[in-house]
Amino acid sequence: MSLTHLNARGEAHMVDVGDKAESRREARASGVIRMRPETLALLADGGLPKGDVLATARIAGIQAAKRTHELIPLCHSLALSKVEVAFELDDANACVQVSATCRLNGRTGVEMEALTAVSVACLTLYDMCKAVDKGMEIGAIRLDSKTGGKSGDYSRRGDATEVPIVTGEGEAGEVSLGVRCDTEQPCILVKCLAELRERLGVGEVSVPFEALERADVGALKRALKAMDERFAGLEEGRVLCAVNQVMAGNATPLTAEDEVAFFPPVTGG
Amino acid sequence: MSRVRVQQQTFDAGEEQRRLLEARTDIGAVVGFTGLVRDVNERPDVQALSLEHYPGMTEAALEAIADEAESRWPLQAVRIIHRVGRLAPGDPIVLVVVASAHRRAAFEACDFIMDHLKTRAPFWKKEHTASGDYWIAEREADHHDAKRWEVSS
Repeated sequence: MSLTHLNARGEAHMVDVGDKAESRREARASGVIRMRPETLALLADGGLPKGDVLATARIAGIQAAKRTHELIPLCHSLALSKVEVAFELDDANACVQVSATCRLNGRTGVEMEALTAVSVACLTLYDMCKAVDKGMEIGAIRLDSKTGGKSGDYSRRGDATEVPIVTGEGEAGEVSLGVRCDTEQPCILVKCLAELRERLGVGEVSVPFEALERADVGALKRALKAMDERFAGLEEGRVLCAVNQVMAGNATPLTAEDEVAFFPPVTGG
Repeated sequence: MSRVRVQQQTFDAGEEQRRLLEARTDIGAVVGFTGLVRDVNERPDVQALSLEHYPGMTEAALEAIADEAESRWPLQAVRIIHRVGRLAPGDPIVLVVVASAHRRAAFEACDFIMDHLKTRAPFWKKEHTASGDYWIAEREADHHDAKRWEVSS
């Protein structure tokens, strides 16, 4: 293994990615900022002098991800399709867990963007809270996972298995920056949730709108089964469907750019 | 405070009720329901519970249920909090607080909201036990409970 940012003479250079194939890239990074329990309580209650701390830090993280190339010398400027920054207030350990997920369809990975988003979100948290707590400590900034690209998928080992609680767009802190599908042409974004995702082994897939013989959910199911035999599992057991997050059935009409989710009966409460 | 919240962190039922009632003197009854993680469910020795949801749709579904309750009973305040992520036995999962001028409306609306939350809100539970992980199946009894509220014409 060699360092790709060094050329044959050992000098720093920017890697030419022009000949690399485009693929869907995603990276997730996390970090933590430790503080006094009283500071965390103030943060949770919105009682800090600079105002809404988490909202500000979230925007800072998203902005930082988009401007990573201006900070890290040999990074390419990327058109990210998604940046999500999330915070978890951990009372037991008096800290805020910060995580960031970045995605794009392109020729370079997005791990630096995710790491930058986490770093700047942590720094912003420090800035917003420093009036009451100068002893805060930022740490454990690291890449949790990345997918896509020549070097393959990576997942940090030894961690507790990650629970996917985010299965759709629209969560607080997530900004959709345009691209919703893998392809350029009009398409339907299909999501499989919870037990169905694990049973079929498919989380998200985009289906070109023109692959549908008719513009409804029934035709989408037929197109999915023709694309990938795993979707035969849609007919096993009770599977529910939502179009643009509203419950739907086989006859529900579809238009290009719709989001269609399939999932098992709900079991909350 | 928003009427509906989906969050990873825990909540304090007493604190939520106190905030709901703050500076109000018109409320005559408040009913709160808290759901907890049990260590015995479909299998014994449940070590943890993972809750997944469909962000966006979840909030909309909970808002719709709260709207429906408010249209059926004269309510003065509704709060629904549902947690997601990994929870341990004994942890609170869900909180419904309903305030009204009189107790009957508050009791019934709280019951109504829970019955519909269990059958309409896109949450899914996976249990982690000593003998493996599995997704919880839907319960016929929950659908039966929700049907109690259908108005017969």
